[in-house]
Amino acid sequence: MSFTRDSAVARAKRDLAGRLGISEGDISEVSTSEKDFPDMSLGAPEKGEMSAQMISSGWQIRLGAKGMDYEYRADKYQLRLHDFKGTNYVVES
Amino acid sequence: MNRNNIWIHIGIAVILVTLAAVLGQIDRWRSALKINTSPSVRSTPMPKSVARTKEDNEPEVLVRFKPGVTLAEIKKITAMNNDVVEDEIESVKGLTAIDDLDNADAEAVAEQYREMSSVVSYAEPNYQIKLDDPAQSYSIQDGVHRPNDATPDDPQFSQQWALNNIGQDGGTKGADIKALEAWQQTQGSDKVVVAVLDSGVDYTHTDLRANMWLRPDNLPQYTDDELGTFNDENGFNGTDNAADPMDDNGHGTHCAGIIGAEGNNGEGIAGVNWNVRIMPLKFMGRGGFGTTKDAIEAINYAIDRKQHGVNVRVINASWGSTQKSKALEDAIRAAGEQGILFVAAAGNDGSNNDKRPHYPSNYDLPNVISVAALDRNDQLASFSNWGPKTVHIAAPGKDIDSTWLNDDYREASGTSMAAPHVAGVAALILAKEPNLSVEKLRDRLLKSVDPLDSLRGRIESGGRLDAAKALKD
Repeated sequence: MSFTRDSAVARAKRDLAGRLGISEGDISEVSTSEKDFPDMSLGAPEKGEMSAQMISSGWQIRLGAKGMDYEYRADKYQLRLHDFKGTNYVVES
Repeated sequence: MNRNNIWIHIGIAVILVTLAAVLGQIDRWRSALKINTSPSVRSTPMPKSVARTKEDNEPEVLVRFKPGVTLAEIKKITAMNNDVVEDEIESVKGLTAIDDLDNADAEAVAEQYREMSSVVSYAEPNYQIKLDDPAQSYSIQDGVHRPNDATPDDPQFSQQWALNNIGQDGGTKGADIKALEAWQQTQGSDKVVVAVLDSGVDYTHTDLRANMWLRPDNLPQYTDDELGTFNDENGFNGTDNAADPMDDNGHGTHCAGIIGAEGNNGEGIAGVNWNVRIMPLKFMGRGGFGTTKDAIEAINYAIDRKQHGVNVRVINASWGSTQKSKALEDAIRAAGEQGILFVAAAGNDGSNNDKRPHYPSNYDLPNVISVAALDRNDQLASFSNWGPKTVHIAAPGKDIDSTWLNDDYREASGTSMAAPHVAGVAALILAKEPNLSVEKLRDRLLKSVDPLDSLRGRIESGGRLDAAKALKD
């Protein structure tokens, strides 16, 4: 799997729809921007996960649904959900 | 205007044109004298005994354009300066030999390109070098002079501010680890093995392959009670318990290059060690992250090889998290008991590790060194973690040029890049003093730092890594 900006946004919408039990049409893309993250877990490590401590470029994807904002982080090789109810998730890598 | 006035004006014009021509000739004479008598300032230190001349049929300058600048754009730029591209240097991306059609002073032409800092990485005159003291042990390759082989001929060395900061790209002269002085004492040894616990290493990289560890023929294959026996010819891969530690991310290859890219081989960069043996221990996958378990398995492998006679003395760990693991701590302690120093990145959250611990750098063990990152001006990098009790030393970690996948090179930033400088200097010390205990090795690194105001109260030792001082016993 190799993500582009658009494919990462599409995959994030699909993931969020599944988690919230809603359709993808009910999810809006609030913003997507290029961002430098502090490490190779994109600053969103899962519990127990060790990551390379190199500044890494990727995309910060903000999605909106049911009046709430959700943050995904992606780069070429991975998509993560940041701080969803206090927990980080690797959606795909 | 009457006829007399016209002749007066024509006379004045003739005098002015003649005067301009004479002044122009004087300027060219002066320029020629300058070339012959006063060598221009170079980007690398040059001994006074070297005389340089420029042949008319040679290109005047060597200019390295930044990544992304195309050949068509380079040709446009050179045409604007009334110059021509004479040759592209294929082995170094962006490096171009340029001929100045005006035959101006080479240093002036180089300066003209240096001013285009948005597209030019560096520019230097293409000098020929003549030695005036053949008794001295100089080597000359690619037009660069190297006193006693201590200045390497690697073409990207001038970008390696961490090893020799001459103020390039807005840096502070001397804000480096004093590699040139250190290399006067030792350039490393193939008897010292540094394990790179990371995403693997591209062991086929042209600038690394000569310094890669290979399992000796007389050493049995690695056997794990549960996993069985497998061929660890090039190192260890804990991600799938396979034998091949080839890097599929790039991060481990970058760290390996900082520690030990082959020096003075006319290729790419120079590592802190020109000569060393790098053992790849892969536990992170393509994405640059991995599990505690895989890290532990890889450390166990290094310990096993040490017990079988491989001189693994340093493990570089350019990774971490805020998750504490007793098992990982125990594995690192066990490595220490085998005389292995564990050099760990302090983390990139810009936070205080005394209050918000980062692991493995925060394990309070006698073989662990936690490393913060500095920029090219001796300032703590904005992203770097710090901690007056738990972060021990600082080293260059911003805009660091090193090896990457596919025989490439890349600049990267992070405490990931700082840690290998410390691991590399540890290996240099061991090349000179192979029997030094891990406790004394750690002590030597921390007590030989260059104190910096910017680190006072933020880093335990209060200073930057100094390879030259660390080598003085």
